[in-house]
Amino acid sequence: MPDIRATGTGGTDAGGAPVAPPAVRVEGLWKRFGEQIAVSGIDLTLPAGRFIGLVGPNGAGKTTTLSMVTGLLRPDQGRVEVAGHDVWRDPVAVKSRIGVLPEGLRLFERLSGRELLAYTGRLRGLPGAEVDKRADQLLGVLDLTGSQNKLVVDYSTGMRKKIGLAAALLHNPEVLFLDEPFEGVDPVSAQTIRGVLERYTSSGATVVFSSHVMELVESLCDWVAVMAGGRIRAQGPLADVRGDAPSLQSAFLELVGATGRDTAHEALDWLGGGSAGGAR
Amino acid sequence: MSAPAAASAASAAGTGVGPGTGELARIFVRLKLSLLRNGLRQSSARTAVFVLSLVFTVLFAAGLLIGLIVLRGGDGAATLTVLLTGLLALAWAVMPLFAPGGDETLDSTRLVMLPLRPRPLVAALLVSSLVGIGPLFALCLVVGSALALAHGAAAVIVSLLAVPLALLICVALARAVAAANVRLLTSRKGRDLALLSGLLVALGFQLVNFGVQRLGEAGGLSALEPAARIVAWLPPASAIGSIDSVSEGRYGAALAQLALSALALGALLWSWQRNLTKLMTSPDGSTLGAAQESATGGESSGTLSRLLPEGRTGAVMLRGLRYAWRDPKTKASWVTGLAIGLLVPLFSAAQGTGSVYLACFATGMLGMLMYNQFGQDTSAFWMVAQTISTTREAYEELRARALALLVITLPYTVVTTAVTAAVLGDWGTLPSALGVSFAALGVFLGTGAVASARLAYSIPQDSGYKSVAPGQAALAWMSLFGGMVAALVLSLPVIVPTVWLHLSGDRGTLWLILPAGALYGLLIGWAGLRVAAPVTAKRLPEILAAVSKG
Repeated sequence: MPDIRATGTGGTDAGGAPVAPPAVRVEGLWKRFGEQIAVSGIDLTLPAGRFIGLVGPNGAGKTTTLSMVTGLLRPDQGRVEVAGHDVWRDPVAVKSRIGVLPEGLRLFERLSGRELLAYTGRLRGLPGAEVDKRADQLLGVLDLTGSQNKLVVDYSTGMRKKIGLAAALLHNPEVLFLDEPFEGVDPVSAQTIRGVLERYTSSGATVVFSSHVMELVESLCDWVAVMAGGRIRAQGPLADVRGDAPSLQSAFLELVGATGRDTAHEALDWLGGGSAGGAR
Repeated sequence: MSAPAAASAASAAGTGVGPGTGELARIFVRLKLSLLRNGLRQSSARTAVFVLSLVFTVLFAAGLLIGLIVLRGGDGAATLTVLLTGLLALAWAVMPLFAPGGDETLDSTRLVMLPLRPRPLVAALLVSSLVGIGPLFALCLVVGSALALAHGAAAVIVSLLAVPLALLICVALARAVAAANVRLLTSRKGRDLALLSGLLVALGFQLVNFGVQRLGEAGGLSALEPAARIVAWLPPASAIGSIDSVSEGRYGAALAQLALSALALGALLWSWQRNLTKLMTSPDGSTLGAAQESATGGESSGTLSRLLPEGRTGAVMLRGLRYAWRDPKTKASWVTGLAIGLLVPLFSAAQGTGSVYLACFATGMLGMLMYNQFGQDTSAFWMVAQTISTTREAYEELRARALALLVITLPYTVVTTAVTAAVLGDWGTLPSALGVSFAALGVFLGTGAVASARLAYSIPQDSGYKSVAPGQAALAWMSLFGGMVAALVLSLPVIVPTVWLHLSGDRGTLWLILPAGALYGLLIGWAGLRVAAPVTAKRLPEILAAVSKG
C-alpha cells in the first residue's frame, strides 16, 4: 500500500471529532446567466473528512456551484470558504488545498498521460523528482501505466476521468471536488476510481462529488446535499436526508417534487413500434 | 435550438428524402442568425465590438463602392476591378486557413446525424454563407466593379449574371477550402500536410506583396495590365472580366469568361460536396496518427526537458514547445509564421528591391503567436487557473510562455536577418536591423501578454473550420489589429532613430541601434508581462469563460 500523502496538514483521524473548520462553507451564493438564475442564494456547510455527494437533476446548478466553490467561476454574490479560507479573498490558501476534476472542460490533450501529470505537478510547485514518483504510483493505482505514453486525446472517457483524478490528487489536496466523476465511465474504471477515493477519504480527506445517479451516491457517501432548481433542498447525513423513504432515489424524487408524473402516455400516443412510416 | 428544428423539418417531410433545398436554406439562415445573436447576447462589450467592426466594414465597403463608381469609364477601371476581384477571391480562399472569424457559422459535421442529402445540404449551406459582414463587403466590391465597367444594355445583363456568380464563387471557395482543410487536419498523413497550408498562405502573401511592389516602382496601374489580362481569365475575376469584354463588344470572350466562372463554381461545389460527404461519413483519423507520434516522441523530449529550467517555467515552456509540434492548429500557425517570415525578406532581396529591415517581418509574424495565449489552451486553461493564485505565479506563467516563443523566434530572427543581409550584400545594416527586430520582438511579447489577459477568445478545437467561436470574431480581430497598431506605436522609439540615422547618412553610429533595440525590447517585454500579470491573476474566471466557448 504506497503512501502517496507526503506532507499532511495535521492529519485529522477518520474517527476523530471534526473540530477543524468545515471542508466547505457557502453563504448566500448567487449566479445568474442573463435571465437564467443558475444558483439562487444557497447556504451549504459540508463537514470535513466525509465522502459527500451533491445530487440533483440535470440543470440543478451542481456544476455552477462546484465551479464557484473551486474558484473557476466568479459568483454574483455570496461567500465561499474552503477549509476556513475565503476562496476569492485568499486564493493562495485555497488553491493549494483543493483538487478539482471539472466536467465539460478539457485537459491538455496533446500531452501524454505521464506528461500531463509531470506538467501539472510542476505547475503546483512540487519538486520534479517528487512529481515523477507520485505520477508513477498514481498511474499504477489507476491502471494507466500501459497507456501513460499515449496522448490524452486518444484516451477513452474512463481513462480521461482517471488521468484527471490523478492530476487532481497529485499535490495531495485536503478537499477533492469531482464533477460527475462516474459519468460515462465503464464499470471497471468506476471501481478503480471508487477504490482510490475510498482510500483517500479514509485517511481523513474530504471528497465532494456531484452526481445524478442515486444508487451510486447512496452506496458511496455518508453525507448528502440535494440540489434542484438552483436551491439546496436538503443537506445532512445520508440517513437523515433519506428519512423514512425506502431509498435515496424515492426521497430525492419527493424532495424535488417529481413524483406522480405518470400522465405522459396520452401525449406520446404516436410513439411505438411498427406504426411509423419508413425511416429512410 | 435550431438543430431540433432542422430535425423536425426533416421528419416533417415524412418520406425520408429530407427537406427541400429552399426550406433547408431558410432553416440554416435562421440558425446562423440565432447563433450570431446568441453569441452577442452573452456580453454587451462583445456587442459593442461587433457593431464597431460592422460600422467600420460598411464604411470601408461604401468608400470602395463610391471609389469604383468614380472610376467608371476611366483608363485603369478594368485592370483595377479585375485585380481587386482576384485579390478578393484569394482572401476568401485563405481566410478559413488563417484568419479568425473566417467562418464562424455552421459546422456541417454537427449535422451528421440528420437525414440530409449532400446536394440540398451544400446548397443550403452556400446560401447561409452569404449572410454576414464578409459577404456584404464582397458584394459591395463586386457590385462596384460591375458599375465601374458596365456600358450598354448587354453589359448590364451580363452583370446581372456575373455579380452573383463572382460572389458565390468567393463564398464557395472559402467553404471548399475549409472542408478540404478539415480533412487535412484530421487525417493521419494530413497532419503533416498542415505544413503545406501554412506554406500556401506564405506564398499567396508573397504574391500580393510582389504585386504591390510592382505597382509602387513602375508608377501606376499600367504596369499591372499584363497581370490583369491573365487574371481576367481566372474565376471569379473572369466574371468581372466578362462585363468589360461585353462593354468593348468582345461577345465571344465574354461568354467564355462567364462560362469559366460558372464551371469553376460547379467544380468548387462538387469538391466541397465530396469532402463534406467524406467528412460526415468517415471516422476521424486523427487518433491513429497521434498514438504513433507519442510513441516516438518520448526520447527527444526527455533531453529537451533536462535543458529547461525546473519548476513552472520549465514545465510551461516544455508544454508550449510540445504543442507547437503536436497541436495541428498551433503547428500550422508556427509554420505560416516561419515561412512568411523567411519568404518575404528573401523574395524581396532576390528581386533586388528588398531591405534587411524586411527581416523584421519574421519577428512580427512569430510575435503575433503571443496574442491570445490562453485561447490556445482552450478550456484546459482551468488547469492553469487552478495553479495561479498570486500575481507572481501569473507573471511566471506568462514569462514562461514568452520564453518558449523566444527559444525558437530569437535564433530564427538572427538567422533570417543574417541571410537577408547576405543575399543583399548589405552587412552594414545587419546590426541595426537586428536591433529593430529585437525591439519589435519585445514589443510583441509585451503587448501580446496584455492582449492575452485582456482580450482572450476561444479557438474551437472540435472543428478545423473555425478559429474563433461564434460571436467572438470581432474580439479576435480587435486583439490582433489593436495589438499590431499598439506594437507599431511602441516600436517607434527604435524605428524613428533608425530612420533618422539612415536619412542623416550617419552610418557610423547605426550599430548603436542593436544594443539600444535589444535593451528597449527587453524593457517593453518585461513591462508588458508586469502589466499583464496582475490582470491575469485577477481575471482568471473571466478568461476561463472567454476561452471555453469552443
